[in-house]
Amino acid sequence: MASDMNDDMSGEMNTPSERPSGDKKSGPKARSAWAVTRSVWFAMFMREAIGRTMTDRMGWFWMIAEPAMFLLLMIGIRSFIRGDKLIVNAPFIPWMLVGMMGFFLIREGMMQGLGAINANKALFAYRQVHPVDGVFVRNALDGLIRTLIFLLFMLGGLMLGTDFRPDNGFQAIGGWLSLWLFGLGLGLVTSVLGTLVPEVSKIIRMLNMPLLILSGVIMPLNQLPHYLLEYLMLNPIVHGLEYIRHGFFDGYQVVHGTSLTYFWAWTLSSLALGLLMHVRFKERLKSQ
Amino acid sequence: MIEIQNLSKRYYHSHYSQSDDHWVLKDINLTIPTGVSVGLVGANGAGKSTLLRLIAGMDTPQKGRVIRHSKVSWPIGLAAGLQSSMTGRQNVKFVARMHGTEYDINSIIERVQDFAEIGSAFDEPIRTYSSGMRSRLNFGLSLAFDFDVYLSDEATAVGDRSFKAKASKAFKDKVGQASLIMVSHGEGILKELCQAGIYLKEGQAYWYDNIHDAIKAYHADSDGPQLDNMTLPALQKLRKERRAVMEDAKLAREAAETLPPREKKPYGDALRAAREALREVREEIQSRQERASRITEDAQGE
Repeated sequence: MASDMNDDMSGEMNTPSERPSGDKKSGPKARSAWAVTRSVWFAMFMREAIGRTMTDRMGWFWMIAEPAMFLLLMIGIRSFIRGDKLIVNAPFIPWMLVGMMGFFLIREGMMQGLGAINANKALFAYRQVHPVDGVFVRNALDGLIRTLIFLLFMLGGLMLGTDFRPDNGFQAIGGWLSLWLFGLGLGLVTSVLGTLVPEVSKIIRMLNMPLLILSGVIMPLNQLPHYLLEYLMLNPIVHGLEYIRHGFFDGYQVVHGTSLTYFWAWTLSSLALGLLMHVRFKERLKSQ
Repeated sequence: MIEIQNLSKRYYHSHYSQSDDHWVLKDINLTIPTGVSVGLVGANGAGKSTLLRLIAGMDTPQKGRVIRHSKVSWPIGLAAGLQSSMTGRQNVKFVARMHGTEYDINSIIERVQDFAEIGSAFDEPIRTYSSGMRSRLNFGLSLAFDFDVYLSDEATAVGDRSFKAKASKAFKDKVGQASLIMVSHGEGILKELCQAGIYLKEGQAYWYDNIHDAIKAYHADSDGPQLDNMTLPALQKLRKERRAVMEDAKLAREAAETLPPREKKPYGDALRAAREALREVREEIQSRQERASRITEDAQGE
């Protein structure tokens, strides 16, 4: 190996005059902080990707089979009860699939965040790795996998002859990315809370099922009385899901009061809060 | 060169912990020069591993800072840096990728494999490894990168003889290019590989230019004061101190009289230890006085 390589493996070569604070910035021969972070993300991404897809038995199979089975089950129950004519201006199965995939994107963002720090504990031996890196990388990977699965489902739906083409592609993509970001924001917050206070992770796991129903994934919220809806619309996930559904089905009547501004207010606040918590509790998370 | 400035570190155990005023390291100022290998000695809990972690940048101090002017490795040791669910090869790949694109992953893998000599276990998850295999892999991994300073936290403690020989040979080969900061209770390997020493005691760090002096200082303290070598006034002073300690222990024991037996026990033990220490000094003084009077008697007899 060349001994004159102009790389500082620590990412922290520094002279006191230039580097009074001792933080990660580039010195004369050092990699820049951004370069260090990039290679950390790359390394962690590859590691997570292999861990997610290869180490589990039939990892790929379950990634697709789990939502498919859930979907089939729900469709079975719904059609048994009511039949297919339920949602105004939107076919039921695509309607539910869009909501479900969107909900899972947020839910998994949250759940992946819970385990992200403990799973990467061993890597904090390298000073280049910060707790927040694990959350970012996991969330990105999970989002990518879910995007791929969603596309596969859409393709399958189209081949079966359902109307699965988004009527407003930009809105659909925008909605999907918004949900992804909200999942990241929640993941950042839950990763800190769940690691520092283990009880929180139990509560979040418990919240999953009620949240699925309250967010209008399985049943449309439109038919509920107004006084109930007033409270249900406090849940930001409803807003995001209704927005992406509207992107798919042009004439779809969104629940009254759907506002993307409200959703983005939540997204940005949770992102800001999560990042702040990661800055504040970095040391404690590392030593957990 | 590594500069350590006003470094202080404490751990917070819990909200109810009574020992929160305990600093593991307190206000340490050191400069570790380039090319000098340093051994860290001290009792268990003196802060050796903590200091090493702080130098590595794994931990953040409450006060002060560490300035690294050179490429410093992660602390090589048992628990460090290997993800147990991944195979050895995947771990090596991870670390190589993390250290940037300048490194060729395949050549790194080859170097690690050559050094670690763990055979087909290289493709098994780390959790199936023995502790010796782990430290071989971790050691080989760190040697595959060209660090200026290697940090070792008992890295060779679990290795067999051939591995220890190999590790020290690897370091001797690196003399001139790289130095070592190591924590070890094996004094042989410290003397073999290190020139200078740092002795950690009660949160303070003492620098010795010679590792032998550091080990000597550590021995002197851990063996306790040598009563035979002390002068009589010093012994009298020690007796007074120990008497005071004993009185305190006695009062504490009496105050603890109402406690249940299990909680009373430590006070009783402390009192017994204090009494024993006082008796020791007293006997030493007595024997010296007898010796002295015998000498004077002999002198008078003549």
